[in-house]
Amino acid sequence: MSTRLAGGQPPIEGRLRLAAALILLVLLVFVIRLFQLQILEGDELRRRSEQNSVRQVRLEAPRGEVLDREGRVLATTRPAYRLEVIPNDLSSRDRTFAALGQLLGAVPAELDAKAGSSKGIRRFRPRVLADDLDFETLARVESHRFAMPGVRTHVEPRRHYLSGSLAAHLLGTIGEIRADQLEREEFQDYRSGDVIGQTGLEASFEAHLRGREGGRNVVVDVAGRQVGDPLLEVPAVPGGRVVLSLDRDLQLAAEEGFAEVPEGEPPRMGAAVALDVETGDVLAMVSRPAFDPNSFAGGIDTATWRGLTSDEWDPLQNRSIQNHYPPGSTHKAIVAAALLQEGVIDPQTTAYCPGFFRFGGRSYRCWKRAGHGTVNLMDALRESCDVFFYTYGEKLGIDRLAIYVKAFGIGRTPGLGLGSEAPGLVPSSAWKRRRFGQPWYPGETVSASIGQGFNLYTPLQLAVAYAALANGGKVMKPRLVLRLETQDGITVKSFPTEQTGEVPVTPARLALVRRGLRAVVEEPHGTGARARVPGVEVAGKTGTAQVVRLDRVEGLKENEIPMRQRDHGWFGAFAPADDPEIAVAVFVEHGLHGSTAAAPIAQRILARYFEKKNGGPLVAATEGEQNDSGD
Amino acid sequence: MTPGIDRRSLQHFDWVLLGLVTCVLGIGLANLYSASSPGVESGLPPEFRRQMLALGVATIGMLVALVLDYRRLERLAVPVYVGTLLLVASTLVLAPVTRGNRSWLIYGPLSLQPAELAKVGLVLAMARYFHRNPPSEIRRVRDLWGPALIAAGPVGLIVLQRDMGVAVLTMLIAATYLLFVRIPARAWAALSAAGVVALAGLWTYVFKGYQKERILDFLDPSRDQLASGYQQIQSRIAVGSGEFFGKGYLEGTQTQLQFLPTQHSDFAFSVLAEEWGFLGSVTLLAIYFMLLIWGLVVANNSKDSFGAMLAIGVVGMLFWPAVINVAMVLGLAPVIGVPLPLVSYGGSQLLANLVAVGLLMNVSMRRYIF
Repeated sequence: MSTRLAGGQPPIEGRLRLAAALILLVLLVFVIRLFQLQILEGDELRRRSEQNSVRQVRLEAPRGEVLDREGRVLATTRPAYRLEVIPNDLSSRDRTFAALGQLLGAVPAELDAKAGSSKGIRRFRPRVLADDLDFETLARVESHRFAMPGVRTHVEPRRHYLSGSLAAHLLGTIGEIRADQLEREEFQDYRSGDVIGQTGLEASFEAHLRGREGGRNVVVDVAGRQVGDPLLEVPAVPGGRVVLSLDRDLQLAAEEGFAEVPEGEPPRMGAAVALDVETGDVLAMVSRPAFDPNSFAGGIDTATWRGLTSDEWDPLQNRSIQNHYPPGSTHKAIVAAALLQEGVIDPQTTAYCPGFFRFGGRSYRCWKRAGHGTVNLMDALRESCDVFFYTYGEKLGIDRLAIYVKAFGIGRTPGLGLGSEAPGLVPSSAWKRRRFGQPWYPGETVSASIGQGFNLYTPLQLAVAYAALANGGKVMKPRLVLRLETQDGITVKSFPTEQTGEVPVTPARLALVRRGLRAVVEEPHGTGARARVPGVEVAGKTGTAQVVRLDRVEGLKENEIPMRQRDHGWFGAFAPADDPEIAVAVFVEHGLHGSTAAAPIAQRILARYFEKKNGGPLVAATEGEQNDSGD
Repeated sequence: MTPGIDRRSLQHFDWVLLGLVTCVLGIGLANLYSASSPGVESGLPPEFRRQMLALGVATIGMLVALVLDYRRLERLAVPVYVGTLLLVASTLVLAPVTRGNRSWLIYGPLSLQPAELAKVGLVLAMARYFHRNPPSEIRRVRDLWGPALIAAGPVGLIVLQRDMGVAVLTMLIAATYLLFVRIPARAWAALSAAGVVALAGLWTYVFKGYQKERILDFLDPSRDQLASGYQQIQSRIAVGSGEFFGKGYLEGTQTQLQFLPTQHSDFAFSVLAEEWGFLGSVTLLAIYFMLLIWGLVVANNSKDSFGAMLAIGVVGMLFWPAVINVAMVLGLAPVIGVPLPLVSYGGSQLLANLVAVGLLMNVSMRRYIF
């Protein structure tokens, strides 16, 4: 073949021949190597492949621990033993399953069915016969295993939540990685079957908690037992620790508060949040009903899962952040601050409450049918007089009010970092036009002034707002995680406190509102007397959020009202009243009254906080008059 | 008629080339099905589905590459080269760091490794350069600065991506053209001998085990020590246990037990060797190497030097990764993550290589046109 290159260039054919020769030489080398491996060493290597003599054993990294602020372990990892069978390696199915049946106390035929067929390409895959063996069973099986080739036990780290459902919504759940997650770039070094944080902190701090898997190359005999030392071992790197701002004692107090229910009443549902007012540290965060995250740790069984997902009260929802509710009268503290700052009222301004408020041809009721008479701001807060707030709220107007409510952090997600936080809702005329295409009616301002109508808060938002009221106007980002550490306790990352806003109200006016809230708890006729803590002055505000129109439940006794139609109870608080350290928000879903359902739970949290601070029980103060009837 | 295609070029369409490529692709797909089926309970394995999709896109790429007369492509060589460089450069800004390097661009469900496409741009630019400066007239080492600069573009960017394996591969593809320059044999011999001896000496006598590990880790960040030792053992067992006739399709125990973590990509050839034995492995290698030789024939028959240089570049693109990959699978080279072109799993690789094959067809079908 002659080259036909244009331009009279010297032929490249010679070099092309050289290239072809080199290529053929490489091919020859490969064929010789293939001959060597497949023909000369073929028998030997075939034998080794049939014995599968070298196996790679995965060494799973134990997931990192989650600790409370004092270093108490909330979530850790423990060994779990699993019994597996490789169908291909079974010598006698009948004998093996009969023996295993005895050891495990199970029906041999069922084990046989679980093990699957000894034929087909799946015969090499280990099948799980029993999970999470107790130590005694494990010892029994191990001592007989030499007689049962194909049967093996497997130890793997398993997530363990030490206090069961304590802070379940916060800690979250783990589970096998889903197909749609495997497709995502961030999870590209995960394999199908890997366990991953699915909700809560487990999901938010997955990368830190996970650690790095190791492995071991071992020579095994026909029964799958390791022979000699591993050829190579790379140890797993355990996951790091997450240190929370949570105080396990306060968390317990809050959970106990929800658990304690008077005779004949249904279990309490709702949420509670306790914050350090200066740092925004989340000291406690509860949501009820709860679940046991341990049931997810080894792969949740279908019945439990179905039970959780079909429960009409949705136990998986974190009510403290994922849902928002009308705030009821807890809203009045913020309205009061706005009224004072805008000069609509001063501490001496009064209103006359005859038990109702007439506006635009309609009558708006005060919760106290008989009326409160002439009241000023202090009285109106203490006894939660609706008419006072109707009167001046309407004068303030919805749009001016909205600015203040937003400044307290309502209407935006607080940024806890647990995913899917509800934003709450701050109504305004612009919002209503956008949302419904309708103008704002002045009558709606009347309802909005006492926290009914469109207003929505999450329990966490109420806590953040009350903390801002307590600390002089700083809106703090709630801090749930103090720092990330290695498994040996070396700090990898600290999370600083973060202020996300400032309330545009002068310190003196905020102090006035705080005085009013102190009266709610500490003075006679106050609606929050059940939140009193011996030896410490508490400030707070009760709230009752109407769920259905009053006339639907009119005339019914409280315990006759269907659960779904009962009012929600709220309590927002901080203490000590004169120099606040801790703010608490409690929400009791369908709890009827803030004063009776929510305030006692707040009391437990506050009492536990100050007992810890005192280092002992608190000194009892004189009992005051209680006012349970109102909201 | 589509511009650039006339009846004459269709008459001379290179059916041999198409036949060889189709055989390699077919074997690759069948093999991928087997390699990715373990663990899949029902339906087609996801890797197999994605590869079918990539094959569709890559086939379109191949058609685009052969439609326009390659002599017109010469004018597009520089823009294509620069375009692929920009694409690689954009990974440095846009791509997330994965397994220690940034080399992937993600568009929703699609991901692209621009470094693969950069090879096509490099080959076009090199062919253009050597068309204008015939290699037969390059007689001094210092005349090589031009092509060295062209190669430095993609290689440099890929080094910045910290993808050393691909960078070395790209360098080798550029180096293919050295075979055609006329620098004195003595200079050649001295240069390469010195390089080889120095490297071999360092490797054998100076570097300690852990240092070698580090170098290999540097060349291929996705490898890890535990895996590579294990993979070499398992790959050797898989290949050898295939014996003469193989264990049968879907019957390879090493494969179906997933002893090799990357059996569908880097170790695809070991799956084939296990299931189809000596017979199957030699058949695939024979077809593949016939394809390479055919590429050289196309270069030889080309009407002009641009076509010849283009064909040589395409042969280089298909040759080097195949050599490294097969040598690795057969235990003749360390474990470096390089896929086997047209056979291993991977959409970017398939796209780039089929576009290259399209260029080869382009040159071939216009061999009689003046």
